Amino acid sequence: MNDRRQDLVQKFGALAGLLLLVVAFSSTSEAFFSIGNAMTVSLQVTSIALLGVGATFVIIAGGIDLSVGSVLALAGVLAALAAKAGVPVPLAMALGVLAGALCGAVNGLLVTRAKLPPFIATLGMMLVARGIALQITGARAVSGLGESFGELGNGSLWRVERIDAQGFPDVVFPGIPYPVLLMVAIAVVAAVLLSRTRLGRHIHAVGSNAEAARLSGVNTSRIVQFTYVVSGALAGLTGCVLMSRLVTAQPNEGVMYELDAIAASVIGGTSLIGGVGTVSGTVIGSFVIGILRNGLNMNGVSAFTQQIIIGLVILLTVWIDQWRHRR
Amino acid sequence: MPNASLVGVLFSALRTRPLALPPVPADPRSPSDRSAAPALLRLAGIHKAFGGVAALEGVDLEVRAGEVHAVCGENGAGKSTLMKIMSGVYQPDAGSLHCHGKPVRFASTQAAAAHGVVMIHQELNLIPHLTVAENIYLAREPLRGWFIDRRRLRADAQRCLDRLGAAISPEAPVHTLPVAQQQMVEIAKALSIDAGVLIMDEPTSSLTETETRQLFEVVRELRRGGVGIVYISHRLDEMAQIVDRVTVLRDGRQVASGAFADTTVDAIVAQMVGRALDEKFPPRRSVPGTELLLEVRALQRRPAFGPVSFELRRGEILGFAGLMGAGRTEVARAIFGADPRDGGTIRLHGQDLAIRSPIDAIGQGIAYVSEDRKAHGLALEMSVGENITLANLAAVCGPFGFIRFGAEQKTARGYIETLGIRTPGPQQQARLLSGGNQQKVVIAKWLFRQARVIIFDEPTRGIDVGAKVAIYELMDWLAAEGIGVILISSELPEILGLTDRVAVFHAGRIAAVLPTRHTSQEEIMLHASGLGSAHAPRFSRGGLRAAEPATP
Repeated sequence: MNDRRQDLVQKFGALAGLLLLVVAFSSTSEAFFSIGNAMTVSLQVTSIALLGVGATFVIIAGGIDLSVGSVLALAGVLAALAAKAGVPVPLAMALGVLAGALCGAVNGLLVTRAKLPPFIATLGMMLVARGIALQITGARAVSGLGESFGELGNGSLWRVERIDAQGFPDVVFPGIPYPVLLMVAIAVVAAVLLSRTRLGRHIHAVGSNAEAARLSGVNTSRIVQFTYVVSGALAGLTGCVLMSRLVTAQPNEGVMYELDAIAASVIGGTSLIGGVGTVSGTVIGSFVIGILRNGLNMNGVSAFTQQIIIGLVILLTVWIDQWRHRR
Repeated sequence: MPNASLVGVLFSALRTRPLALPPVPADPRSPSDRSAAPALLRLAGIHKAFGGVAALEGVDLEVRAGEVHAVCGENGAGKSTLMKIMSGVYQPDAGSLHCHGKPVRFASTQAAAAHGVVMIHQELNLIPHLTVAENIYLAREPLRGWFIDRRRLRADAQRCLDRLGAAISPEAPVHTLPVAQQQMVEIAKALSIDAGVLIMDEPTSSLTETETRQLFEVVRELRRGGVGIVYISHRLDEMAQIVDRVTVLRDGRQVASGAFADTTVDAIVAQMVGRALDEKFPPRRSVPGTELLLEVRALQRRPAFGPVSFELRRGEILGFAGLMGAGRTEVARAIFGADPRDGGTIRLHGQDLAIRSPIDAIGQGIAYVSEDRKAHGLALEMSVGENITLANLAAVCGPFGFIRFGAEQKTARGYIETLGIRTPGPQQQARLLSGGNQQKVVIAKWLFRQARVIIFDEPTRGIDVGAKVAIYELMDWLAAEGIGVILISSELPEILGLTDRVAVFHAGRIAAVLPTRHTSQEEIMLHASGLGSAHAPRFSRGGLRAAEPATP
């Protein structure tokens, strides 16, 4: 039972920190606490959260994935090129996700078959994927994609508009953006998979003690392989969402996003040693990063100072976590 | 067994003339002369305990100049602890150390080395990618201003190597050398700091016969030069070639000490194993069946072990006895598919099994309870319940692999009750349980998987007596259920108290398979030391007998 309580303390600690941030920013900036800004933050958080969920899978199983920032660029660019070549948009985006999954599969093979350290394998993929994205686009943005390509990133559900007296549309409720819905759906599926299924249990077991898991008959290679495919596929999906939002595919998109994803995971209580972590924690971690960025922006804090603050937050949370476990 | 003849010859030489070096009056190393020599290192009344468990209780040891002093004892007798105290790794709780008659305290290995006491570890402590010379003078590099004086480094290293007569280039990177030469480098390193006392821990364990002979030549050379050598080895068969004096440890106490010439290997073995069968072994209720369960034929993986052949019946407990490094664990892991094998067949119920991974072995009902619970047995951050179901999770899963938590809880609670696992509940982290209870969790895991053959590797290591008895009872119960049990144990009373037959391992092979009721600790130890074939008849009569298992 002690274990459960510790788990709750961890969750509430992160949640309390999140609420504290919201209260603090609401008092310093009037525009912060509004439905419109909440949607903006959610939209910004989706990419971190989607990548973070993938990172959580990989890290729980004892690995690390540094390639997601590049993979999302490659996937987005491929989807855009396909759409431009006349492939229907949903199919083009499926292609992007598939490309991401493929990159993840290669990462997995490098780790499980070639026995490369995950850090090196995914570092290599990070350079290769970025290089391919730049090569096939000639380092230029792919634009002129048509409105349907922007639907996923810019559309929203339950958007309520009213035409006002002057004949201009007046937004009563901005609706829930599709990316946010996608994030919620994927987070729920991932959480259920990790905590309630055999596969999820095996992922935890491999990260907690790979040798014990192997000697218990768990196919450790397949499990590790799976986590990299999930991470790659989610990177591909993130790429499609991001490019769709801009209605332009940028081969330079997503630089350093892998670090945001890992940070979100770690702030949410995932242990880099493996074996421990939850999707709910990662989502909270993503919001901590997203709200910090948004709130600091609204308070006119420079991007440089923001980096310093977020860096300190990561150090602080992990230090508190370590300190709690050492007792 | 190509080794048998050699061992036989060696042994017959030993029996007719137990003294390796006949005391010739003119020999400067004659026993009377040596006893007059000053003690380079003297230990008196050494006590050491770890967490309340005594490892050494009042041990005396004297190392004189120009002698080879063997320290013998079973696994866990306290040899390693004693060596670590001599070389400054541990400090004794009580007792004193004297160097050349003066009391000393070794606060660290550096302090011991400053007094000329150096230990050469079984697993060598060399930096693989540095050269021989760089290793010999590591952290003591001759300097010239701010830079290393490479020329002097090379010359000094060469001098050390020459003293050993070792044909090794000081410029060679250590990882390119065979193990025997790496050992020479270690010895050269010890000589470079003017070691007067050299402690050698199982120096021959990874050497071929030729290399062993070369090593002994070097040891004799060092002895001639006045170095005192403390020699630890399980290979009693080799000792006669170089040992002058011997000290026998048993359960942390010194049981004998004296000139090797005045004793025999028989006597040493008897002193090593004279441990009382004081532990409570439950009476065996189970009777082994006649039906063959597991047949292993010519299983091997060079150079670790093999070829090894044996069989296991339904409801039988087969012991694997032998000294550390004799290949017992390696054989078990190969059967379980945890390590690859070069050749051999494994048959279960008369059917050939193709085992390539633990998944295959588990699928056939073979389970392995590892000797290292923490590293190989349990996922420590996971709960007791999650560990119990880990090997058979599908059994508590519904459609789409969803875990039925109710069923899992019920399963876990069931095993917690049947095996008497002391835990607040299935939710408790496995890390927080005691050693004995952790072991029960591992056993529960395999029971839930419905294993037909269970291999226990040192199942009672590091757990208290009460928990041990519970595990013994459990093994008997498993056998009564018709499960075939293999028990790997270094504790002979355990082997004698629990098993039906004993396979004794020596140097990667099964030296003998003995019926437990008609054997003794001495007989097993002789086979384990590579002396068995010549000795078996003499020891089946005398010595400590196995506790007679209660049979109907």
